[in-house]
Amino acid sequence: MVGNIILTIGLLASLFTLVMYFLTMKGYNNTKPLARIGYHTTAIMIIASSALLLYAILTHQYQYNYVYNYSGSGMSTGLLMSTFWGGQEGSLMLWLFFSGIVGLILLDYTAKRGDLEERTMFFFTLTVAFLLVLLNPLLKSPFQYIWSDPTFINAKNINASFLSLPFVQNFIFTDPNNGSTFVQINQDLYALLAGSGISVNDFIIEGKGLNPLLQNFWMQIHPPVMFIGFSMAAAPFAFALAAIVKNEYSEWIKQSLPWVLSGMMLLGLAIMLGGYWAYGVLGWGGYWGWDPVENSSLVPWIVGVALIHTMLIQKKSQSNGGNGRFVKTNLILAVLTFVLVLYSTFLTRSGILGDSSVHSFVSPGMLVYFFLVLFIGTFIIIGAGGIAYRWKYLNERYNDESNGLSRELALFTGAVTLLASATIVLVGTSAPIFGQSVEIRFYNELHLPIAIIIGILNGLSLLLKWKFTEKKDLFKNLKTSLIGASALTLLIVLFGGVYNLMLIVFTFAAVFALAVNLEIAVKIFKGKKTHLGAYVSHTGIALFMLGVIATGHFTLEKQVDLVKGETREVLGYELTFAGYTPIDNGKKFAFNIDIGKNGNIKNRVAPVMYVAEFNNSLMREPDILNMITKDFYVSPLGYSEGGANQHSHGEMYTLRKGNSVEFHDATITFTGFEFPEESMSSMMGGGSFQIGALLTISMNGKTYETKTIMESKGGDRSYIPAEVPEANLKIEMSSLDAAGTIMVSLSSLDETESTPMHMQKETLSIEASIKPFINLIWAGVIVLVVGFVLSTVRRTKESTK
Amino acid sequence: MKNKYLFGGGIIVVFLALMSYLFTQTNVSYQEDFSLIMNTEKTVRATGEWVKSKSYQLDNEKKIFSFYMKDYKGNEMRVVYNGAMPNNFESSTSVVVTGKYHDGYFYASDILTKCPSKYEEQFDANASS
Repeated sequence: MVGNIILTIGLLASLFTLVMYFLTMKGYNNTKPLARIGYHTTAIMIIASSALLLYAILTHQYQYNYVYNYSGSGMSTGLLMSTFWGGQEGSLMLWLFFSGIVGLILLDYTAKRGDLEERTMFFFTLTVAFLLVLLNPLLKSPFQYIWSDPTFINAKNINASFLSLPFVQNFIFTDPNNGSTFVQINQDLYALLAGSGISVNDFIIEGKGLNPLLQNFWMQIHPPVMFIGFSMAAAPFAFALAAIVKNEYSEWIKQSLPWVLSGMMLLGLAIMLGGYWAYGVLGWGGYWGWDPVENSSLVPWIVGVALIHTMLIQKKSQSNGGNGRFVKTNLILAVLTFVLVLYSTFLTRSGILGDSSVHSFVSPGMLVYFFLVLFIGTFIIIGAGGIAYRWKYLNERYNDESNGLSRELALFTGAVTLLASATIVLVGTSAPIFGQSVEIRFYNELHLPIAIIIGILNGLSLLLKWKFTEKKDLFKNLKTSLIGASALTLLIVLFGGVYNLMLIVFTFAAVFALAVNLEIAVKIFKGKKTHLGAYVSHTGIALFMLGVIATGHFTLEKQVDLVKGETREVLGYELTFAGYTPIDNGKKFAFNIDIGKNGNIKNRVAPVMYVAEFNNSLMREPDILNMITKDFYVSPLGYSEGGANQHSHGEMYTLRKGNSVEFHDATITFTGFEFPEESMSSMMGGGSFQIGALLTISMNGKTYETKTIMESKGGDRSYIPAEVPEANLKIEMSSLDAAGTIMVSLSSLDETESTPMHMQKETLSIEASIKPFINLIWAGVIVLVVGFVLSTVRRTKESTK
Repeated sequence: MKNKYLFGGGIIVVFLALMSYLFTQTNVSYQEDFSLIMNTEKTVRATGEWVKSKSYQLDNEKKIFSFYMKDYKGNEMRVVYNGAMPNNFESSTSVVVTGKYHDGYFYASDILTKCPSKYEEQFDANASS
């Protein structure tokens, strides 16, 4: 309740700020201090509500629907904090939080620059206001109480001492399918609890917890960086609109350049942090899968980077006086970058990509859908409308020609190539809206020529002078890097065995870019260090491209079964499965594999598998042996225990109550659970208990009844198999879950006895792969980010001149 | 001046043509009606439900995972996937498989599972029905 009030005050304050800034733009003198008070109030409310949500999470206040749904006990503080943005409401809250902070910095920055403040802050506050509307109680507030909509809560999450209260009984339901018990919490139960002096936080003692896929370090770092990038993308939009309002297009370039640079630095970093997460923890096997969610944040980044390049042209060409070139282009791209951030939000939040992405989406409901359309529509109309309003004026005044062979032309071509790349990704990612989708080939094949052009421009543009370059001079400068790059490409082609022409050209382009950038960077390093930024970041791009070539085309993969204790050669390495060890208090299992070469065991990797309680599913985490020039990547596929009770020998089936399977000539039907009364009470008390799975076997017109039993002693489960000699059948349960399914393995009795040599041993199935030079990818990204930081520092200093 | 626009326009036209061509080449359409899938040799993305009553099968030796899927009309087909069972297959409510139908089996190259966002809601529906 308090949270919603704070958010509402924040919304009202932001609306007040908008009006005050608008009046200031209209020429009122005394409204600016009021607008500042308004924005500060907005920011304080945003920070307070974020703090409140964080406090509710850290103190496990399951009275909030959001905290109950995404958080839980028994997590480290870092992970617990990451449940803040584990769900839709919270991640919007995170975006709002960073927008609030970015706004404070932007206010301070623009306040020092004359009348820039009211023009810029008006548009920035507008984005904050929209986010505040999105987080209001009718749409996506994280402060909704759990009883405001009737919610079924698993009885295991309820304080057991309250379950026997007489008035609670009316709200207890049992799922007839699987026997699990739920309590429905609604307004009535809340009133009754309140009447008895029981607080909801004492009644509900555990939340649903965070999806195990998200429970790792990268969840704590990737989303915040991403949302800072998103928040900062609103700044160039605000600067561009501020320029349109004043009809003055010179100053905003240098003023917004540090914002675009730092924003794109963070957005790019966040995208690749996500890539490393997918590679190292989620086990996608690669750093990029052209997944719609990845793509949707990549598009604004590419457009933002194109914007940086065309802004540089405008800034450089201003030195001759006037506003410079590419005035219109810069306005359009600045607007487009932010609109694409909003479009990304729309794609990932509206549920429209539901069937096409591995990221799970929850459809947020019609109201939120329409609001998202309104959000993006408003900013398209403001941006496009503003530019259209000034179009005639702009078109008459800024229509300069560019010269032939110049750095300006190269930068422009680079920007156009980037926009082509953005178009490709945008088209492919938007296809699901029209019930279509594209194969990954679509992105890869179209990007190969684009990457070649970018690689060559990346090197070439730096050798060109800003205005015009004599061909003679160019060749002189080119000579060293051209010869060096050709030699290196030849080496890569010969030793790497690259025979695809396009790939050879791409390799050359990347090596050429690397050579030129390194050469110039070294020269500059001896001179003006502040100018290093561009060369460093372009070196990063070149390294990244080489990494893409290496991992994309020379990755080796193999699926193998490793029997415990037996050494097996896989992709040139000797692998030995050395058994598993329980980790994380026995919740997970690490499967140890020794990796050796030429008879010496050197290293050990330990991929992890476990069954997550959260969704009753088998989760797998890869492990990587990093060897500087390559990664040895091991993802686990499955494990079978072997031994006398081996079930991998038979065929595994999963059965729900009432289902039947055919095995050889028999039909096996799972008729239900046998759960004796004393077992039930023993289970409630935490003692040992038995659950039997009743099975009917019919064969040749005869029917047999049998059961296979799960026994739990002190938390350890063991299974007693059922044997039906008449049907030559052995049935062993290997798991049983509360959802009412059992997993059984079926085998013939004689088969196991007569063929002992087939007895399976402890076996681990893995997919092993070698990823050559994948470190170039990460190194490239780090170098790129460093370059961005250097450029941001330089352009921030220049922005005050 | 004229030449510049012609040149730029030409590049844009070539680019768009190339993109549209590849789009049609790599385009995979969604199909909710399995009877149509069984009559085509094209790669499609089939959306439907896992038939839980028919269980699923894991062949540990050949690394084949297979299960039955049904569409909204109740048409069933058997899906064969060369690989491990996806991480949260058992708790999925709907499944999206990409692949081709051939000789009675749908050979999937990719399986995507969708999980219920709120298990309780499902239970609610079950309990009231």
